[in-house]
Parts: sequence; structure tokens; C-alpha cells
Amino acid sequence: MMANTYNRVTSACHRKCVPYHYKEAELSKGSSVCLDQCASKYHERMGKTLTELFMQDEELMKKTQQSSGPI
Amino acid sequence: RCGALLTLTLGSQTRAHRSPSARYRCRMREPVDKYGRFPFKEFLGTYNRLTESCFLDCVKDFTTREVKPEEVTCSEHCLQKYLKMTQRISMRFQEYHIQQNEALAAKAGLLGQPR
Repeated sequence: MMANTYNRVTSACHRKCVPYHYKEAELSKGSSVCLDQCASKYHERMGKTLTELFMQDEELMKKTQQSSGPI
Repeated sequence: RCGALLTLTLGSQTRAHRSPSARYRCRMREPVDKYGRFPFKEFLGTYNRLTESCFLDCVKDFTTREVKPEEVTCSEHCLQKYLKMTQRISMRFQEYHIQQNEALAAKAGLLGQPR
């Protein structure tokens, strides 16, 4: 999963942050900052989404348990 | 012999290299990770993505078979940028995971305290 995530972050941030004109071999300052922010946003977003999904799952489980409890 | 390792995995010329001794000789020089796997597959994936990306961005003149000098410099710059980009993202990844581990450890520490 880690390799998959890494690949996705790399290609997404590459599309968004690195412009297509390869006039020089160095990453510009703007691109570097953009990459840092892109990576941290991706992680934050992923972490939040996973947590939300997990919480939703838990609530669903609780509800089904409660509804099936008093027979 | 193992300079031809690329053709090994590209499939068309594997017949000559299927003997166990050749495979053994080739494998001896490959870096191995802690599970004994070879990261060659990863390398090929990166290579393919990089080549496609730089080709799409840099090679625009199809009136000739030759690669123009501008396209050559563009590809070189593209490669350098890509490598620097991946390095930077790896660093951020590692930092993020260290941060996460510290946060988890702190949580575990807090939970363990009231005993």
C-alpha cells in the first residue's frame, strides 16, 4: 500500500506542481514549495478520509448491533 | 553478462538467459531488500513513467527521425527535475511517517499512564 500511495502522490504532485517547460535542470523554488505542500495535503486528506471511513464503519456496526440486539 | 539484464525482463530474449547459472550470476550483482526481493520491478515502473512523461512533454517535432538538440536538453532537464522531485517527495514521506509514529507513541504513552 505504501508503494501505491507513494506512486500516486508522486504523479499527482508532478502534474500539479512541475510545469512542462524544462528550461533548466533545477527544481524552481516555487515548485519545491508546491511539492512540499502537495505531499502534506495529500497525507492530511488521506488520513482524514481513512479516519472518517473508519468512524462511519464503526457507527454502522454499532447500529446493526443495536438493532439486532433486543430480539 | 548482466549488462543484458534489461533484455532479460523485456521478455524477447529470455531464452538464452534461462539457465540457472546465468540467473545466479546475474542475481549476484543485484541489490536485494530485506525480504530478498529485487527492486527491479519498481525501477522499471519508474523508468517507464519517466520516459513517457518526458517524451510527451519534450519531443514535439516529428518531421524528422533524428532527435533534435533542444529535445535532448529538454529530456535531460526533465530527468534531473523528475529525480529531484522524487527525492523531495520521499523526504516528506519519511518525515510524515516519523511524525505519525511519534504521535501514536505519544497517544500510547498517554493511554498507558493512568495505570
